[in-house]
Amino acid sequence: MNIIVPIKQVPDLVEGLEIDDSGKDLNREWMKFKLNEFDDHALEEALILKEETGATVTAIALDSDDVDKALFTAAAKGADTIIKVTGVSGTGLSSHEAAKALANVIGGMSYDLVMTGVQAIDDRDGQLAVLLAHYLDKPHVSVVTSVTVAGDQAVISKEYGGGLVAEFEGTFPMVLGIQAARQSPRYVPVAKVRQIMRSASIEEVAAGDVGVSSGSDITKYFTPVSGGGAEMIGGSAEDQAAKIVELLKSKGIK
Amino acid sequence: MVETREIFRNFPFLLQIAFYVIAFSTIAIFIYGFYLRIQKYRKGRADARLDNLFGRFMKAAAIMGKNSTVFKRDAFAGFAHWLIFWGFIILLIGTAIVAIDHDFLRLIGVHILQGTFYLGFSLVLDVFGVFFLVGLLMMMVRRAKKPAQLDYTRNDLKPDQYNRKGYATDDKIFLWLLFLIGLTGFLIEGVRIAADRPAFEVWSPVGWAIADLIDSMGMTSAANTIHLYGWWVHAVMVMFFIAYIPYSKAMHMLIDFANLMFNDDLAAKRLPRVDEERMKVGMGYNTIQDFTWKELMDFDACTKCGRCHSVCPARNAGTALSPRDLILDLRTHADRAIGSPEWFQQTFAKEPTAGKKIAGEVISKDVLWSCTTCMACVETCPVGIEHLTSIVNLRRALVDEGNMETMLQDTLANIGDYGNSFGQSERNRAAWTKELDFKIKDVRKEEAEYLWFVGDYASYDGRIQDISRRVARVLTKAGVDFGLLYEGEKNAGNDVRRVGEEGLYEMLVEDNMAVLEKSRFKKIFTTDPHSYNTIKNEYPEFGGSYEIEHYTGLLLRLIKDGTLKINKKLGYKVTYHDPCYLGRYNGEVDAPRQLMEALGVELQDMPRCKENSFCCGAGGGRIWMDDSKMEERPSENRIKEALTLGDVPYFIVACPKDYAMFSDAVKTSGNEGKIEVKDIIHLVEEAI
Repeated sequence: MNIIVPIKQVPDLVEGLEIDDSGKDLNREWMKFKLNEFDDHALEEALILKEETGATVTAIALDSDDVDKALFTAAAKGADTIIKVTGVSGTGLSSHEAAKALANVIGGMSYDLVMTGVQAIDDRDGQLAVLLAHYLDKPHVSVVTSVTVAGDQAVISKEYGGGLVAEFEGTFPMVLGIQAARQSPRYVPVAKVRQIMRSASIEEVAAGDVGVSSGSDITKYFTPVSGGGAEMIGGSAEDQAAKIVELLKSKGIK
Repeated sequence: MVETREIFRNFPFLLQIAFYVIAFSTIAIFIYGFYLRIQKYRKGRADARLDNLFGRFMKAAAIMGKNSTVFKRDAFAGFAHWLIFWGFIILLIGTAIVAIDHDFLRLIGVHILQGTFYLGFSLVLDVFGVFFLVGLLMMMVRRAKKPAQLDYTRNDLKPDQYNRKGYATDDKIFLWLLFLIGLTGFLIEGVRIAADRPAFEVWSPVGWAIADLIDSMGMTSAANTIHLYGWWVHAVMVMFFIAYIPYSKAMHMLIDFANLMFNDDLAAKRLPRVDEERMKVGMGYNTIQDFTWKELMDFDACTKCGRCHSVCPARNAGTALSPRDLILDLRTHADRAIGSPEWFQQTFAKEPTAGKKIAGEVISKDVLWSCTTCMACVETCPVGIEHLTSIVNLRRALVDEGNMETMLQDTLANIGDYGNSFGQSERNRAAWTKELDFKIKDVRKEEAEYLWFVGDYASYDGRIQDISRRVARVLTKAGVDFGLLYEGEKNAGNDVRRVGEEGLYEMLVEDNMAVLEKSRFKKIFTTDPHSYNTIKNEYPEFGGSYEIEHYTGLLLRLIKDGTLKINKKLGYKVTYHDPCYLGRYNGEVDAPRQLMEALGVELQDMPRCKENSFCCGAGGGRIWMDDSKMEERPSENRIKEALTLGDVPYFIVACPKDYAMFSDAVKTSGNEGKIEVKDIIHLVEEAI
């Protein structure tokens, strides 16, 4: 079984975000990047499947800032192959373009599962997994919390709102958007990453034709103005509780 | 008549032959057991500890001669052990003199054991024989009282999951055998004197008194018969004892001398590096062959005295770890894996199968992650066991597999990404200085006499940033020329290394050293004892030799040379908590005390103080792990200890982590208002 895990670097919010002079993009000069948390979960779930079934895992990423580090870390964790898609900048790309570039490369590979993070903090025009499924023309499930493989089939748990979980059965190949792996992503020691950086190499593949449109344009980036209208409820604990009950009732909660 | 005694008195020739046959067999059994031990240690990895053999020998001899490590904080056990030790040594020398005189010198017609020498010999041996028996009796009394530290009950297993009766049997055999050997020795001396009554034997006062006793019991006529049987009982026990030595706890007489001799003075303070080849396959120890010969010897050196078991903060908090049990489990595992002549072993209901991983299976990860690396076990161990090195080497194996709790994992990732454990931006490292109305020098850009290595907690923790500002103000007021590395500083790595993340540690050392090399300063001082330890003891191995001191030492010097003037003697009572990494690791217990004395506070030490201080529970990465499952947090235990002092209103600390831990502990133990945690800088600020 072959599992392909598209991963990407997203802005690290620890540094705080700045909007550039155009007002239509982030100021990327001092920006720090980290692996999209959901992609980390997708990779973890893929590595668990590898341990269970002996699958091979390929981590793939569009060329962008700091992406080599993410790929080497994936290899240190257990990915068998690491691929960088070149000829396109993954930084600031629309989801449609990213999905197309990845589909161009993945389409030419042999695979059973494509597992990527359900979303990323910088997704602009939709989530990657569903678009990727579209360009690959393969079945798709998102918000996945567990994947169990049997033969050429997989049982997939998807989380719905309100605490519901649905189970899907699907036949390979398919594309999954991973919400969470069964366990938190593993730690990989620094020495191992350093070791991999010396011994492993990143395979580079050209993106090909990415001539798709997201169908929308950014007109403005801005920091939301914090809403007013907060009401502080004073008085004794009993008074406060009574007021809260009253308020909740007035909003239709019974 | 010449003063002497006949060896093999009244012995037919055949019995003499029988004795030599038994004696040589015994010695053969001893040598074989000893050989098996040596073979066991030879299976360990190499360790560069064979330098300065004479110096090492003298160091061990000095400790053994004085029994100083046994005396430490336990005068009763120390004195009893001293009596037994010297009794045994002198009796051994006496026996050796008899053997040399009778078996060798006699053949060339020389006889030294006679005349005045014989009389002196008799007296000395009688006196030390009494020492020997008194020491053993004291130990019997001590054991009869069942002290907690000699209780072999485990923290981590239920009683039906293990069996340690072998240990108790060994203890009894060892003690009683020695006692009976001593007793029968005196008895046969007494009957020999009673039989002939040579007047000069009054120089054997104990034998003489026993002879009197035999006379008074009317058994003088049977003396020769009792002597013959008594002599054989004594001899058989001695022979059994000699054969028993390498197969039992009696082995400590030999192993522990070697263990003290090959002990590293910097053990735990400077952890072993992982060489590049090893780094490729994994940092940690996976099989018993990964341990060094010294570590294998450590496991055998343990006498189960329980001192580490008593002092360990993790054990006291009710966690799975007991340093004693860890060492004994590693011994058991080594014995099973590579063979050993040990007769008295512990057994388990579920024996670990061969090929089991050590870290995480033979030794559970709970045991390994419970350690606070406070070094109390290493410090208190009378026989030079280096528990901490083994713990970290095994933790390294857990880190290799990522076998750790999420919080620790996230913290390590943060340190890797941002250089600090808080997961905050590197650029905010010196944000705490913004509230100061002066600017602190940036030693990367301008020269300063001192570089202040601040450390993560004092830089990022809101509660401790205030303390950092106080330090900055006091030093500025005193006109000290100092600067910071600003965002160039990273976590020094002390606790990262003790967690077992050696690769990350090396990265931090490289990064910090790169900045330090480019900065201009003469000396480093730090408010963080953890950074202090690693920069002082571990950075030199990476080529970074810096002069570094703790801020308490700097402040004391400033007061002594008049730079910092005391305007007000404080007068109130305080107690002081010695930080593990300052007091125990680096022996700095005087500077903070002298500093407090200069400030005019009345210091009342807690029962556990100085190098015997009780850890706050934060070290070795524990501050990045969950402590909610403990029976009692070490920090809370410590606050209770401080409260036993009575009316001491202030609990003084000199470590950022201590401030955080104990401020919390005062609240969580419900003692708010009874005692207040202050940093030593609060006192200085008040007094100047």
